[in-house]
Amino acid sequence: MALLECRGLGKDYGALRAVEAFDLDVEEGEVFGLLGPNGAGKTTTISMMCGVVTPSRGSVRVAGHDLARDSFAARRAIGLVPQDLALYEDLSARQNLRFFGGIYGLRAGELAARIDWALGLAGLMDRSTEPVRRFSGGMKRRLNLAAGLLHRPRLVIVDEPTVGVDLQSRNHIFATIRALCADHGMSVLYTSHYMEEVELLCQRVAIMDRGREVARDSVEGLIDRHGGGSLEVEFRGEPGRVASALGALGGVVLEEQGAAGGRLRLREKEPVKPGAVVRAVEAAGGEVESLCLSKPSLETVFLALTGHSMRDDEA
Amino acid sequence: MIVAAIRKEMQVLLRDRSALTSLFVLPIVFMVVFGSIFSGDGGAARPRLIAVVRGQGDQRAAAAVNAIATSGLFRVREEVRRERVEELVADEDVAAGLVFPPGFDPMAGVPAELIIDLGASPVVRGPLQGALAGLVGRSMFGAAAPDVLVARSPHGARPLSGASAFQLLIPGNAVLFGFFLALTVGISFVEERKSGTFRRLLAAPVSRPVLLLYYLVGLVQMSFLFGLGAVGFGLRVGGSVLAFALLTAVMVFAAVSLGLLIASFSGTERQVGAIGSVCLLLMGLLGGGMVPRPLMPHTMQTIGLFTPHAWALEGYYDILVRQGTGIGDVVREILVVAAFGIGFALVGSLRFRFER
Repeated sequence: MALLECRGLGKDYGALRAVEAFDLDVEEGEVFGLLGPNGAGKTTTISMMCGVVTPSRGSVRVAGHDLARDSFAARRAIGLVPQDLALYEDLSARQNLRFFGGIYGLRAGELAARIDWALGLAGLMDRSTEPVRRFSGGMKRRLNLAAGLLHRPRLVIVDEPTVGVDLQSRNHIFATIRALCADHGMSVLYTSHYMEEVELLCQRVAIMDRGREVARDSVEGLIDRHGGGSLEVEFRGEPGRVASALGALGGVVLEEQGAAGGRLRLREKEPVKPGAVVRAVEAAGGEVESLCLSKPSLETVFLALTGHSMRDDEA
Repeated sequence: MIVAAIRKEMQVLLRDRSALTSLFVLPIVFMVVFGSIFSGDGGAARPRLIAVVRGQGDQRAAAAVNAIATSGLFRVREEVRRERVEELVADEDVAAGLVFPPGFDPMAGVPAELIIDLGASPVVRGPLQGALAGLVGRSMFGAAAPDVLVARSPHGARPLSGASAFQLLIPGNAVLFGFFLALTVGISFVEERKSGTFRRLLAAPVSRPVLLLYYLVGLVQMSFLFGLGAVGFGLRVGGSVLAFALLTAVMVFAAVSLGLLIASFSGTERQVGAIGSVCLLLMGLLGGGMVPRPLMPHTMQTIGLFTPHAWALEGYYDILVRQGTGIGDVVREILVVAAFGIGFALVGSLRFRFER
């Protein structure tokens, strides 16, 4: 039995269908990635999974407990690490952890031990009595993660944990997530719009776009099936003619266009030689300014599946 | 450049509800309400009703009653029994009562009795007492004279003996500033939503109403206000301490719920500040927190009853300045304040979005 089971989970806001029917299984000890651009519905989906938002349809079971019927037991099995820095800035790290631990029913000696454990995990033991507002963005992110782990949940839901952090804190967060699975047997549902993070951390991935799931597999499986490579071409010339000329070589997405040129991405059906691209552009009356080859990756998978790149949605 | 700056400022201002409220709505509302309170009801001020008992054929009493009735300040309701006058005063059906004894003659040491609630604030009682004594004195001697009236409370009014001015002032201030807790709570709600801590709390194994319990810091605030009153200014509880505690608990509940309601109409902390301060000052004013309600025109007194402040204040007043006031005597006030709290909480929780 999977640790997290979602069946037909969906949410409507009035006439807007924010998330269509979504099925998901996360196994014990697994790091599962939920990938999609901003606005894809990731946060709404995980909000339904941890009971923050009431679903319009579907069901959620966590560690065998139905979230609707046995809400408290299901919630105890989940540790939510929100995208926002959900901390009290005027309180110290230790005071924040004491409060959040208390909410989960931890008391006295057990709470004190868990706080020390979480502070150690976040690398903040020596700063534990300082007000959080004095922390750097990365330190706050680490504390934000630690606050979701105090009650030792079986499933940790981590929502975009690396937004605005420095490289050192990012690596610390990655190491913590790996340790949670390896040393403590926790499962992690990791949402991000950074492809490379998901590739680095997750065994399996579901890709969301505009409120629906477009693919799910292991990272390698997705790349093998949908990856291909892509060429980014900057050119001078009439964008429509150039795109049409390159259409014979693969799928073309115009990412930028102006009166006298633009930038497009060519998704290869088969490996394409750069020389063929240059010749096709010149035959259409244009001129290649630069060519950039992208290796098969989740970025190219996303492009193949949705017809647009992650950057389009972020723009 | 100046025109561009002015245009930009106007555009920003027109989109900022809180600034518009503070700059334009608040002053207008206060001018209207203060004007209505102190302008004598716009010309529709009604003379206060006085109940009178006098013996047939008593010329002095007749002259005094005639002077009162023709003064334009009072209307006279003639009664035949002293007990009935006391009932009318105790039930607040009349502002005061005058009992002229047989052989009414202040010079001979037989003054009239003024039946008036001696537990009422001197601000309310004093002018009434002074006006009646003046009118009675002038009817007899052509000028105000001392000792024409002897003031007594109606039977059962039980005013607390030796009550200080602070004793009478503290309830109004405690209610006025106690309800300002709503502002703190409203800002906390909006801040918690903004920072995302609500999100973390909503995911925890606690029910949503439990989250509201965290805001009962108001009990601490009220304990502090009344505690300071007791220690620093000699405040005493004339009635039941249990009734006092119950009323305080429901008042804090109403203030917390009002905070949720205000937050549900506000997107930012600034909006809570603007909307909240307008609501709270207005409610405090109408409810008698700044000016005693009995001094207001009748219409404004009635409007004041639509605020929890008026009921809380009424309850506190009875408990603090009337000897032996029990829960039964203020149960109506406690229930009405609780009902306000439930109403605010229901509408607030339906409207407030815990998620951004």
